[in-house]
Amino acid sequence: MKKNKNLLFVFFAALLVFSSCEDKLFLEPEDSLTPDVVLSSAALAEGALVGAYGRMRSDNVFNGTTQLTQDWMSDNINFVGSFPTFQEMRDYTTIASNGSVSAYWRDHFFVLASANFLINKLPDAEIPDLEDSERARILAEARFIRAITNFNLVNLFAQPFQVANGANEGIPLVTEFFEGDIAPFQLPRSTVNETHAFIEQDLLQAIPNLLESTSRGRASQGAARALLARLYLYTDRFELAADFANQVIQASEFELAADYSFYNQDDASEHIFQIINNPVNAQTTGQGYSGLTNPADVARGDAPYSQNLLDAFAEEPGDLRFTLFNQEGVDAVQGTQTFTTKYPDAVNAADNAPVLRVTEMYTIRAEANLRTGLTIGDTPLNDINALRTRAGLPNLANVTLDIILNEKRKELCFEGHRRMDLLRNRLPLRRPGMANEAESAFGADKTILPIPTSERDLNPNISQNPGY
Amino acid sequence: MKVFRKHFLILILCFSGVTLIAQQKVITGEVTDSNGLPLPGVNVVLKGTNTGTQTDFDGLYSINAAEGQTLVFSYLGQRTEERIVGAANNINVAMVEDAESLDEVVVVGYGQQSERKVIQNISIVKEEDIQDIQGVAPQDLLQGQSSGVQVVGGSGVLGAPSVIRVRGVNSLTGGSNPLFVIDGVPIDDQSNLTTTQGGNTGLNPLSYLNTEDIESFTVLKDAAATSLYGTRGSNGVILITTKKGRLGQKTQVTVGFSSSISEATFIEDMMNLQQYADFEIENTRALTGEDVTAADLGLDGEGFDWLDAVTRQGISSNRDFSISGGSENSTFALSINHSNNEGFVIGNQLEKTGARVNLSTQASDWLKAGINLATTVTLNDRIGAQNNTFAPITAGFLQTPNVLPRDENGDFVNTGFIANVLAIEALDRNETATTKTTGNIFVEAALLDGLRARIDFGVDRTLIDQTRRSVEVNSPGGFAQNRINQVNRHLITATLNYNKTFGDYNLGVLLGTSYEETKTNRTRVFGTNFLSDKLLNVRSAGTFTNTFSDRLETRLYGQVFSRVSYDYQGKYLLEGSFRRDGSSRFGDNNKFGNFWAVAGGWIISDEAFMSNSFFDYLSLRASYGTTGNDRIGTFPFLGLFSTLNYEDLSGLEPSSADNPDIQWEETSTLDIGFKSAFFNNRVRLDVNYYEKQTDNLLLNVPLPLQAGIGTWAIGNPILSQNAGKIENKGFEFDLNTVNISNGDFEWTTRINLSTVENTVLELPGANRDEEGRQFVSGSTQQRAIVGESANSFYLIRYVGVNPQTGEAEWLNANDEITNNPTPDDRKIVGDAQPDFYGGIANTFRYKNFDLNIFANYSYGNDIFIGSIRFTDAPIGFNLSTRMLDYWRQPGDNAYFPRLDGDTAALFRTTSTNQLKDGSFIRLKNITLGYTLPNKVIEKLRFIQNARIYFTGTNLVTLKNRDLGDRDPEVTNNINPLQLGESFFVAPQAKSYLFGIRMSF
Repeated sequence: MKKNKNLLFVFFAALLVFSSCEDKLFLEPEDSLTPDVVLSSAALAEGALVGAYGRMRSDNVFNGTTQLTQDWMSDNINFVGSFPTFQEMRDYTTIASNGSVSAYWRDHFFVLASANFLINKLPDAEIPDLEDSERARILAEARFIRAITNFNLVNLFAQPFQVANGANEGIPLVTEFFEGDIAPFQLPRSTVNETHAFIEQDLLQAIPNLLESTSRGRASQGAARALLARLYLYTDRFELAADFANQVIQASEFELAADYSFYNQDDASEHIFQIINNPVNAQTTGQGYSGLTNPADVARGDAPYSQNLLDAFAEEPGDLRFTLFNQEGVDAVQGTQTFTTKYPDAVNAADNAPVLRVTEMYTIRAEANLRTGLTIGDTPLNDINALRTRAGLPNLANVTLDIILNEKRKELCFEGHRRMDLLRNRLPLRRPGMANEAESAFGADKTILPIPTSERDLNPNISQNPGY
Repeated sequence: MKVFRKHFLILILCFSGVTLIAQQKVITGEVTDSNGLPLPGVNVVLKGTNTGTQTDFDGLYSINAAEGQTLVFSYLGQRTEERIVGAANNINVAMVEDAESLDEVVVVGYGQQSERKVIQNISIVKEEDIQDIQGVAPQDLLQGQSSGVQVVGGSGVLGAPSVIRVRGVNSLTGGSNPLFVIDGVPIDDQSNLTTTQGGNTGLNPLSYLNTEDIESFTVLKDAAATSLYGTRGSNGVILITTKKGRLGQKTQVTVGFSSSISEATFIEDMMNLQQYADFEIENTRALTGEDVTAADLGLDGEGFDWLDAVTRQGISSNRDFSISGGSENSTFALSINHSNNEGFVIGNQLEKTGARVNLSTQASDWLKAGINLATTVTLNDRIGAQNNTFAPITAGFLQTPNVLPRDENGDFVNTGFIANVLAIEALDRNETATTKTTGNIFVEAALLDGLRARIDFGVDRTLIDQTRRSVEVNSPGGFAQNRINQVNRHLITATLNYNKTFGDYNLGVLLGTSYEETKTNRTRVFGTNFLSDKLLNVRSAGTFTNTFSDRLETRLYGQVFSRVSYDYQGKYLLEGSFRRDGSSRFGDNNKFGNFWAVAGGWIISDEAFMSNSFFDYLSLRASYGTTGNDRIGTFPFLGLFSTLNYEDLSGLEPSSADNPDIQWEETSTLDIGFKSAFFNNRVRLDVNYYEKQTDNLLLNVPLPLQAGIGTWAIGNPILSQNAGKIENKGFEFDLNTVNISNGDFEWTTRINLSTVENTVLELPGANRDEEGRQFVSGSTQQRAIVGESANSFYLIRYVGVNPQTGEAEWLNANDEITNNPTPDDRKIVGDAQPDFYGGIANTFRYKNFDLNIFANYSYGNDIFIGSIRFTDAPIGFNLSTRMLDYWRQPGDNAYFPRLDGDTAALFRTTSTNQLKDGSFIRLKNITLGYTLPNKVIEKLRFIQNARIYFTGTNLVTLKNRDLGDRDPEVTNNINPLQLGESFFVAPQAKSYLFGIRMSF
């Protein structure tokens, strides 16, 4: 009897324990996909593209931090926040280990990796339900993403083209997708000219396959042409700049807005390309457009108008670009300041980020025509007066470069254009009487950001900018 | 026990006839334990004869003896007593627990062994060593108690994780914590299931356990002890045994109450408004040349002391109730306890209620069954910490003294970036509620002579419910979050145990198999835009900003594990063990790993030639073997794309790179040592030396940033690789002495000391620094460097302020003075790991008084105080009073450079200016207790035992003066690559406790 009991025990024990556990060790993740699966259907390939736009949403790329940084490195914003890494950039005391700069750099390469995955893998992937035209469109959008991201990088981390006619150091031009070998990601820097050529090539290649009309949060033909216009302007190729800006202005999808209600409207025809945010897929760090530019009781209160910009608006009272976009509020250090209202959603940081809009095309066309003496599309005077009319200001009788830059500043303040507009015109970033005027001179070391220590630690081939 | 009894019956039968001597009489008596409870099964032997008996169920015995003979009373775990038979016919004996006894049975992996014959390297921490130690989690109790175990308290925030290392850092990837096993159930310790709230890790997952249940710890250190835990053995294994009843123990009811107050050990001085205004006026003049007044700067008025406002005296209380006992066949222990801890930082509170039942029964002559089960419910009222401007301590330091928390109407105001932490703690909700259930159910069958089979089913379930709600004034629009995480682990273990004596040979064989599954479910919802602060939960939000749920699963299959122990005459000991483990974490190319160990020992003192030696016990021991470490995430081997959306579209990002060959780390350990006891067992000295080498070191090798792969916006891209080799070696000393023992007065001392020398041997594929050494960065200031410690501080060397120029000076890479240091000037300047560490416990007992003095120490470790970069720099926050010492004129030996100098802004550059000597010795625990004398007890009748006690925790700390008013026990992060870094870490608490414990 006892023996039987024992045997029964052993039997059940064996049954419990030795039921083939080995097979159970092969698990698959429930919330991720392997790369081969990603390239198995049209919807998934499109998903990889959407993810690339998702990465552009980083505050450090297009959702405001780098744009606002450029506005306080120049003369638009009086940065009063207490974040030391931002203060360093304001004070021209940035060091190479600045953590914010490292994040700017890193997040741009995150976007580039997403784009490079598609550019490298999609052409040869066998995806039965993916039409050739769709495949070409996805690739074209990826090229646009790569181009605009590289352009943002080169503007932040390299001296402008004008310093040495583009022979100066630009950025590393990553073209591959990481699959284990790190060599393609320890690149030295290409020159600014090489960088610009690479961007130009991506855009020109993309245009034929991009859609003419799509969501304004996605790359379109107009977006690629608008970016080319900006690239040509920044490289003093004014005729091309005027031509491409004019092409965008002439396109039926885009139109100079009649008033200023287009901010945060997803489908306003003023927008050529913007980052479309919503409360679920919003700005990312609390240090983007909405976080920095709203007063301290609702947000950080870090980035109010500079006195210099207030003075500029005060020269012509009634400018709607100021009267519609200012509020008094508490700043980060308990003072009272004037803040912009372009990005009012401090709670969810869901304001859209303008990247390319028709107004900029008017200023590019005006400046490029003025500099070349051409009248592609229209005269500089007409273009500027169109903007002034919308701002509720009287028409001018003639325009100069200074007037165009001043109008552009007022249109595009808090959108990150000011620093490059000054530098490429060989102007100091700060106006006389402002702090760090000398350090902000054209070509000065700290008008550009350092190659981050975190990059230099892992890449023996990359050179540092002078002064860091 | 049964075996004993049987043997003694045989002995008695054999010898009862031949040992009859004249003038014999019957001696009777009762044997009790130190609590006065009857002790059954005590061996009572006539010295020098084979005559003996055992006490019965009521602790009574009866034996024939002659006057002048000596009775020897012995029982496992109790000090052996001798009594000379005199005129009386009744001899009662009260036995005393014997901490020094080597005959105890101790818990080892998957079983028990006699301590005398253990040749694995283990440390036992017993109940009496830890009973007065205050702690939220098991790690707290282990601090300083055992050689080879280093515990660095996390912070003074309740439930903050502490760093625990068994024999140094064996892994660099975030998995250097030992495995905790409670009554055979490996406990889940994922630290990322609670929000970090500014710290680098969430709550300590072991803080959900009930420390009151712990009877003892066994720390498994060498490979002989840990190889049975296979892929999880490399970091050491800590076995926790919970309190159980004993066979034949009379039912005992115990109640305890205690109450304490706590405060911060160290808080630095920050400027008051007057000092701050004066400084800012000077600084403005220095920078702009303008003369301003305090009013111009908004620095007039009454001011507010924020640091004072965020700290308090925390009041805590604890009560527990337990019943334990046993019959001849069954044992039981039931307990319930409740504690309410209030931290010294406002808003921080931890309430814990736990209950446990441990039952076991000999169901029939061949079948034994039992259950150990505990549930603990914890409510942690959390606060932000460290790198978080919403954290009370951080904001307390940084908020400038002109900022007031309330407006003229007395209402809280929003203070902007540095948050109004008083308003947050008064109005917001920030709670983490956990329910943790752990337990096991077993059946054990005696199959053949010496062969037992056992099946054990274990569970570990954790439910974590995190709720946050911030009100309008603190977060305009309001926000709410709810995160629910569940971890369900279950495992089944089957073992066969065979123990048999063949003549002079003893053989023990263990053979087992186990299977374990861990499922982690995470759900979270966020909402914003609330109409009213009275609407508390996410469902009342206007905008739902985040909905998320996912599930992760890992499986571990211990296909087979075995241990064979063999000894000759109990003095030549050999042991071998083996385990084959498969894990779902490893790539298809390496699903299974084999781990093994061999050990040998020689009990020299049992040799005939040692019979008259100085030693009561002396043994030598050596072992060598391998173990693994599997803490590298869930799917480290797959290249993956994860969700990243844009607009309203679903998208994917490349979150990790393909890595098919990834496998466990493998650690091989050589361990040699001796155990000794001398001076009548009054001195015990154990010494060990070990060398531990980890190959296939799992490294999260930082990829060049250009690679751009990783979970977006979380951190720099990394790739896990089995890339490196690391070594730890050191000595461990354990010295236990009974210094004085004469009836009324007893003084015992326990000292342990461990050295650890950690060296990174190889990091293939890693990048090289300026001097050509390969390294992996842990943080901006810390690196694992080949040929150096894994926790080397790599910093610019700060020299000081030049008395003549008033400018701060650093050294550049060529050891020359510079005023403009760059990251290229960094050098290895320190090590976060100590040269040695340990603990010293002294216990004094005089009549009914007992006094325990316990200190822990650490020597030779450096700590990096990152907060200095913020408190000691005029960048808009409040300033340390050190800043009043700025350079004013030539000849000044100032702390801070001249305000108008070029280096004033660079002073805060990360450098050795923030690196401090972290050596300390700390009076961790001092307890004075008084046990009511027997006379009083007898009068009270219903009470069997009562003790009142006072405990002081962290009352005195000796440390380097350079450290200033800062706590030396700090850590930001349990990441092994970021040891000894502090960024506004709340200091440890200092507390005073009064308690009473009674049993009935």
